[in-house]
Amino acid sequence: MTTPYILMALLGGAALLLPVLQATTVERFTRRSAGYFTIAVLLAALAIVLYPVVSFTAESGGPTSAVFKSDLMALFFGVAVLLVAIFVTITSLEYQQDDPNISIFYSLILFTSLGMTMLAFAVDLLMIFVAWELMGLPTFILVGFRKKDPASSEAAVKFFILGALSSGILLYGISLLYGVAGSTNLYAVVDAMSTLSPALMPMGVVAIALLIAGFGLKLSAVPFHMWIPDAYEGAPTTVSTLLAAGTKKAGFVAAIRVFLISLPLFQMDWTVAFAVLAVLTMTLGNVAALTQRSMTRLLAYSSIAHAGYILMGLAVAPFTSLGIVGALFHVLNHSVMKSSAFIAAALVAYKAVGTHLDSYKGLALRMPFTAIVLTIALLALAGVPPLNGFWSKLVIFAAAVEGWPGVWWAPWLALAGILNSAFSLGYYGWIIKRMYLDEPGQTSKVIEPIIFRIALFIGVLIIIITGIYPAPIYEFARMAAASL
Amino acid sequence: MIELGFPILSALIFLPMIGSAAVLAIRGAGEKVIRYFTLAVSLMVLILALLAYSPVLQSGVGAEFNYVEGPITWLPSLGGLDYLLGMDGMSAVLVLLTAFLSVLVILGSWDLIKERQAAYYFLILLFEGAMMGVFTSLNLVLFYVFWELVLIPMFFFIGIWGGPRRKFAAMKFLIYTHVGSTIMLLGFIALFLFSPSHSFNFTDLAGQIPFWLQLVAMAAVFWGFAVKLPVVPFHTWLPDAHVEAPAPISVFLAGLLLKMGGYGFLRFNLGLFPDASREFASFFIILGIITMFYGAFVAMTQKDLKRMIALTSVNHMGFVLLGAFTGSVIGISGAIFQMFNHGIAIGLLFMLSGYIHEQAGTRDITLLKGLRKNMPRTAALLVIGSLAAMGAPLYSNFLSEFMVIVGAISTDVRYAVLMLVPLMTVAYFLWMIRRSVTSQPTEIRKHDLGNRSTLALVMYIIPLILLIIFPFLVLNVVDPLATVYANSFLGVTP
Repeated sequence: MTTPYILMALLGGAALLLPVLQATTVERFTRRSAGYFTIAVLLAALAIVLYPVVSFTAESGGPTSAVFKSDLMALFFGVAVLLVAIFVTITSLEYQQDDPNISIFYSLILFTSLGMTMLAFAVDLLMIFVAWELMGLPTFILVGFRKKDPASSEAAVKFFILGALSSGILLYGISLLYGVAGSTNLYAVVDAMSTLSPALMPMGVVAIALLIAGFGLKLSAVPFHMWIPDAYEGAPTTVSTLLAAGTKKAGFVAAIRVFLISLPLFQMDWTVAFAVLAVLTMTLGNVAALTQRSMTRLLAYSSIAHAGYILMGLAVAPFTSLGIVGALFHVLNHSVMKSSAFIAAALVAYKAVGTHLDSYKGLALRMPFTAIVLTIALLALAGVPPLNGFWSKLVIFAAAVEGWPGVWWAPWLALAGILNSAFSLGYYGWIIKRMYLDEPGQTSKVIEPIIFRIALFIGVLIIIITGIYPAPIYEFARMAAASL
Repeated sequence: MIELGFPILSALIFLPMIGSAAVLAIRGAGEKVIRYFTLAVSLMVLILALLAYSPVLQSGVGAEFNYVEGPITWLPSLGGLDYLLGMDGMSAVLVLLTAFLSVLVILGSWDLIKERQAAYYFLILLFEGAMMGVFTSLNLVLFYVFWELVLIPMFFFIGIWGGPRRKFAAMKFLIYTHVGSTIMLLGFIALFLFSPSHSFNFTDLAGQIPFWLQLVAMAAVFWGFAVKLPVVPFHTWLPDAHVEAPAPISVFLAGLLLKMGGYGFLRFNLGLFPDASREFASFFIILGIITMFYGAFVAMTQKDLKRMIALTSVNHMGFVLLGAFTGSVIGISGAIFQMFNHGIAIGLLFMLSGYIHEQAGTRDITLLKGLRKNMPRTAALLVIGSLAAMGAPLYSNFLSEFMVIVGAISTDVRYAVLMLVPLMTVAYFLWMIRRSVTSQPTEIRKHDLGNRSTLALVMYIIPLILLIIFPFLVLNVVDPLATVYANSFLGVTP
């Protein structure tokens, strides 16, 4: 119950404190310590989020009139986004070390982390919107953090315009829903909807369409995906990690809550919409990824494809309990896999090897550790067993097959998903081929900084351990889905 | 059912895997140490495999799963996902083949692999462990995990240590087989969700699957197995992969990887979907016959010795498919026996092609002349290997091909036309021998195998001769299982 308030005080307080510290202390001192301070705060936040899980004091299901609900669903997403934030901060220690405004950078990361966690806990449409903005606004600045770099600024402007558009659409949808239902609390909306007069039905449908569009922009669902590759490429690569693995996942929690709690009346309307979106999203993501020449763009399109797999789970959610479980499981796994891959790409870019795919040629000889981690992360993304990505895809595909007696298209959805997954090994394998089979242009060894090594090692460890023993995280996802 | 006090199947899987991790740990110790270490691990695995094999042989319990380990629940809330291992007659034969070929591959790599040896032997042992897992898993997901794990080492084997077009071949192999495997996974999921037992465990599923589900699942898993076997027209990855792979890896490819396809067809189509297989038996038999004839015809036209041998295995694996779907005891045991014999004979031929390529600098049959004079040991072994592959009655290959054809004729006399296939095999092998072995050399330049290589190659021949004299060594293990499969295929309850 109190978890979101403690987090608010902790993350918000720390975020406000950091710029003050920078202004009042010796610069050299803050430069080093600001990063460690941020990591400590995020670890503390992670502990606070995990405490109700391990002590079994999480709120159980059922409607609440409060603004926040700290059920297992919220805690699950809290763990996922905080893990990503920690990864990003660790790598930023090295990646951003020459930046003069480093405290501001960490402060913004803390703010967006706060927004992401609030979004996970929010069960009131207005709170969802506030958290949405708190999560979004700092990322606009983070994307454009390299003021002097035109690509970074351009990405930020694009991102901001589309972000503002999505907020506007979302707010409009929320206001329509409020007009129809007379409340902003999700559970109150459910009650109101069940007694809705047929005359108001069209307005409800428009509201849903607007919400799908608003969330879709952040979820990178087709056709709202256009900004993704530009933003990821222009932003500092660590920030791209945050966008791909963090804020997008937080967008999913909002989508899951809104659609599963408040709109069961429109089931048929949105399951078909989600199924079509899922197939379009993953197919476009995979096909586009295959044609990319830049690593960050490739990873951006790959994360679009993965959003498609998660949407698949949502599409069959009304017909099988496995749907949401698979989606949640994949959210957490994807956070870890994508973070590891992005951090490895950040390291390669940071060491001035480049982001062009050709610069990955022979990387195994120049940066052996990075190459191995990247290989494992890419194989996990492709769903090769026994890595974590395999298990969550297995659950999602099983969910899609199990939707069959309910809806006729479910097995075809599963087939589309599994073919997409198989197809994706084409471009992931191509990168592995470049790293291990091709000859390098230069043979000089590249130093892999210890901070990056630590972050990558943690990531790969989670990938492998979850792959060999997926039960704890699967159970967490299952209970989180049940707590809804 | 045999039980041991000690988890021998897990040991077979994880001893090589732990060994492979150990190779990485000692990679600084020098190449020689790594080679001997890998050899020692693989010899231990061979001893374990023999220890597992001989009780199955002696007590004739090939029909049931022995040494069952588990079920240890893996994902408790997703039912039926267990760690479950077992070994019946077919597994026992293929596990023994894996262990035996691994030792010979390591010996054969001694002279042929010079680069990045630590990584190479790491992958060799990883491959061996994954292979053991494929042949002993009784849970479909566990089976799939090992099935896919096999791909990764093979991708690097071809891609790093292969020939000039190795990158292309490695990517083609990876994507081709991965796509087939994922569709297979969809079939597993359908089996899990819609079977009454609601389980991934092989033992729970057998005999419990309704006919419509057998059909659906058979259509899905077909892709996975057809690519691996390979069934024409899904074979195009194979010649590329073989030509580019280094010789020892070709032994793994043809000797073990293709057996995964044969194993899958026998284990799934006969063990799980007997009714659907009976309905569609003629479809599979025709595919098998096309594969046999196509392999033989295309092999005839090859100039590259290695490509020719690769296509021979397409031809020979067609026998496995055919034998399995005759549904007769003799055909099914012939198919399993054929997998074992083919694995060994083709291994010998691939190793020879590797040595010839290294010594003579070419594998072009039209350029290789007078091997008899220049490379007498190689030439002698090549003739022996060819005789075995063409099914001459001196070697056990004859027996298994004979059994499959007898099985086929016993179901329909028109299959007598299959007698032409061994004839065609004889034709292209003799042609190859005439042109490269018995012809006059253009120049006299003696260069031949060393003693260690010769010894390693002679070891391939021993089981082939041993098994034509004492075929019961394999058939007694396989026959009980073949009887069970044939009965369920024919719908007979014994």
